[in-house]
Amino acid sequence: MLADNPPASDSLGFYIHVPFCAQRCHYCSFNTAPLDATAMTRYLAAVGCELDLLGALAWAPRVRVETVFFGGGTPSLLDPAALAAILARLRRRFAVAPGAEITVEGNPESVTREKLHAYRAAGVNRLSLGVQSLDDAILRRLGRLHDGRGARRAFEAARDAGIANVSVDLMYGLPGLDPEGWSRTVDAVLDWQPDHLSAYGLTLDAGSLWGAAGVAGLPPEETVVAQYWRLARAAAERGFEHYEISNYARPGFRSRHNQIYWRAAEYLAAGPGACGFVGRVRYANVRATPRYAVTLEEGRLPLDTFEELTPRQRLAERLILGLRTADGVPAAWLGARLLCSGGPEPGSSRGWPAGGAAWLRDAEPLRRTIDAWRGERLLADAGDRVRLTEAGFLVSDALFVELL
Amino acid sequence: MTLSRIRNFSIVAHIDHGKSTLADRLLALTGTMDAKKAVDQVLDSMDLERERGITIKAHTVRLLYQGRDGHEYTLNLIDTPGHVDFSYEVSRALAACEGAVLIIDAAQGIEAQTLANFYLASDANLTIVPVINKIDLPAADVEGTREAITATLDLDGSEALAISAKHGTGVPEVLEAIVTRIPAPAGDPDAPLKALVFDSFYDSYQGVVVYVRLTDGHVRSGTRILLMSNGRAYDVQQVGVFSPDMRPVEELSAGQVGYIIAGIKRVADAKVGETITEAARPTAAPFPGYRDAKPMVFAGLYPIEDTDYEALRDALEKLRLNDPAFTYEPETSLALGYGFRCGFLGLLHMEIVQERLEREFDLSLIITAPSVRYRIQTTAGEVLDIENPSKLPTPDRIAEMEEPYVTSSVFVPTEFMTVIYKLAQEKRGEHKALEYHGKRVHIRFDFPLAEIVVDFYDKLKSISKGYASFDYEFADFRASDLVKLDILLNGEPVDALSIIVHRDKAYEKGKALVEKLRAVIPRQLFEVAIQAAIGSRVIARETVKAMGKNVTAKCYGGDITRKRKLLERQKEGKRRMKQVGRVEVPQEAFLLVLKS
Repeated sequence: MLADNPPASDSLGFYIHVPFCAQRCHYCSFNTAPLDATAMTRYLAAVGCELDLLGALAWAPRVRVETVFFGGGTPSLLDPAALAAILARLRRRFAVAPGAEITVEGNPESVTREKLHAYRAAGVNRLSLGVQSLDDAILRRLGRLHDGRGARRAFEAARDAGIANVSVDLMYGLPGLDPEGWSRTVDAVLDWQPDHLSAYGLTLDAGSLWGAAGVAGLPPEETVVAQYWRLARAAAERGFEHYEISNYARPGFRSRHNQIYWRAAEYLAAGPGACGFVGRVRYANVRATPRYAVTLEEGRLPLDTFEELTPRQRLAERLILGLRTADGVPAAWLGARLLCSGGPEPGSSRGWPAGGAAWLRDAEPLRRTIDAWRGERLLADAGDRVRLTEAGFLVSDALFVELL
Repeated sequence: MTLSRIRNFSIVAHIDHGKSTLADRLLALTGTMDAKKAVDQVLDSMDLERERGITIKAHTVRLLYQGRDGHEYTLNLIDTPGHVDFSYEVSRALAACEGAVLIIDAAQGIEAQTLANFYLASDANLTIVPVINKIDLPAADVEGTREAITATLDLDGSEALAISAKHGTGVPEVLEAIVTRIPAPAGDPDAPLKALVFDSFYDSYQGVVVYVRLTDGHVRSGTRILLMSNGRAYDVQQVGVFSPDMRPVEELSAGQVGYIIAGIKRVADAKVGETITEAARPTAAPFPGYRDAKPMVFAGLYPIEDTDYEALRDALEKLRLNDPAFTYEPETSLALGYGFRCGFLGLLHMEIVQERLEREFDLSLIITAPSVRYRIQTTAGEVLDIENPSKLPTPDRIAEMEEPYVTSSVFVPTEFMTVIYKLAQEKRGEHKALEYHGKRVHIRFDFPLAEIVVDFYDKLKSISKGYASFDYEFADFRASDLVKLDILLNGEPVDALSIIVHRDKAYEKGKALVEKLRAVIPRQLFEVAIQAAIGSRVIARETVKAMGKNVTAKCYGGDITRKRKLLERQKEGKRRMKQVGRVEVPQEAFLLVLKS
């Protein structure tokens, strides 16, 4: 399937999923697997095969990899030699741009100065550190294995190892997290002077322990909203740009890899459950790590699902992803979306013909919605682009539903 | 075929007493078709009927039975609708029979519809064959049921057949009793044609297929027939019987049951209860009791998408072809735009029409709170019939308001009497009579129709742990102290949410209603005030807070598809929202109105 579907661009991102975790966090629904030596060995061999198979695709030679992102799971569980081997395999099969952004996600308890130094030697130039909170009681409730001091030590280790671009992940809206506790965490982390911050409001995903079993002590919505604003203000004061719903960066330190997603640009993927987007096709690998490994041992790419986007879906995705960012989208895209309102959805069984007049009239509700968002200052015009305001970010899904 | 070898009968029962199971057995025993196929294809042929376990339209099947006297008999089983909404249809189907098998559940005993059906059958002068079913149940009380039959139904309980339709026990005796107890049809084949229409349906190839019972004369292809209520004449193209599929025959004659196809274009032109005769030699007197089925409950139907208006109109027209009891006319609502005010026999009928529109025609609809028809005397001396609360004249123009009342029967074990009386009082019921039948009581109440239209039956069932049964019919219009209750969203009245209520209940109703609306109206970008008002006086208020946060924090690892699917599911939910002014109101809000 990938063979007949060459990417439109020669510059791609590359996502590599490392599924292993020492322990699953209580809020997490991501694709993880328990860490054991045999599984790790098998996984490493499989990723190598996958990179070979991807590299053997007819169009691979013209591709330039601009970003590499090791996500997890807990990629910092990778032995430096193993990480170096993956990167070497990738470079053997693909042209990795000289200035490529190479990110590794890491948990504080599994990074040391030595390990990070070795990662850096292998080419890693960005670390995304999963701090989540500096409050030890909350960290325990989350099921994290580090404490606040450990988080601080890990951050310093990264600096000591010479990693010039360090991002910190935080979570708010957590059970037991009061406004003061959040303020303390935000201020302390900003004092570290990270280059980038990601702050995620807690969502109870179906696949997580909390999603399944529920959790007590969730703060009321006003508190969660206040926490969002508290960070937004503090980050702005320290010179960060709020460049995506959940992301803040010092000038020049936006995540290049994540911006590929938000621009609906293309990226390849390796590892169990990893998702890629090339040409018009979004695809995902087999999720279960053992089956992922078996498929590759049999010499086949472990594709599980793929979907070719219709032009309308592509437009909707560009709008929805682009509007997550402070750059927003060209106003002309919204205009195009208004023009393709009306008429039966593809696959609708409804046989009624949509006449010309009906077609135009049907764009009215969306036009009214967009006007209402402008009126409420949730949506703002900036030159020939349109973007959500920081208030708009907070309720963005309500608009995205309309833009589908 | 000699008349003496024909029996026309019906099976009647309270719901769940085993009517379909027995019919199924009779078909199987007479080899008409195998049991499974019978149930699936014949008796409850609409999906909705099967799902709800009730019969909505009448059906008819011809069974050939070898009697113990050695003769072969033709048994015409005319199946009747099984819900109080359709009692007129039941009465016409019974008028086509000489006898009825009345099923009584050996464990449940006599219930309201047992009694209602018994009266309908007696009124039609039918010979009634009582059958006690489900004798295999551990809770079966055959002797007690026999006594109840004798005491309550004025029948000889000792003659009741004890059967288990489920296991087939006693079922051959039912067939034999149909032959020996129910009289053969009488009638003069040489007299002018006289046939009763007891059902009909529209077939897109053949036009209307009319179900008839002939009492006199005969009819064959080529006969010119006259429909007596509307004076229309048609040439018969085909006559036939159901065995159980339609099978053409040469001729139908006095005493027989079958169908006529005569190029009739609309079901409304050959309504249930109609008399068919010969154009050249009409019968002297049509069947008595014909009436137009009158809608009792009215509601507005609006497309969620304005662009579906014409599709909705076409769909209503198609439904009406098959269902003359259902009426519709265009109306407009400030809140909902262009739609139709539709009339239904009852709430079940309304739900059936709504479900068919959504399923068969793929329409997303708003259905407004059902209303009854009110009669208004204006100060100017006019009489207005109002079935849409928003059309009510201003109070200064109203001299008097009347609302429809029903007479009703409730059958219930004595231990539930207190709760039943309490419910009746809440629903403005007037107690009329109380009779004891052993451990059960038969209570008669008069109710305002508006009070029982929506959830009365469900409440009755739940407070009586399922034991109470209920039946009603329209009585008359009575003066009442009624007011219009308006609902305002952010200060704007929403005409489609207005209801007419008794003054004493207005406050309580308004309060309950705004609370319910607050629960179903989703949070929007701005705060939404929900108010209930009588005239300019606000009597209750609730607020839906503005949306605080609605955001997916993380698109994890580039899994954009998952995010899109989540949004698509939300969008599916939004298809059922209607924009009223600036406020998005979900479909169910409009139905909540009477249920509060």
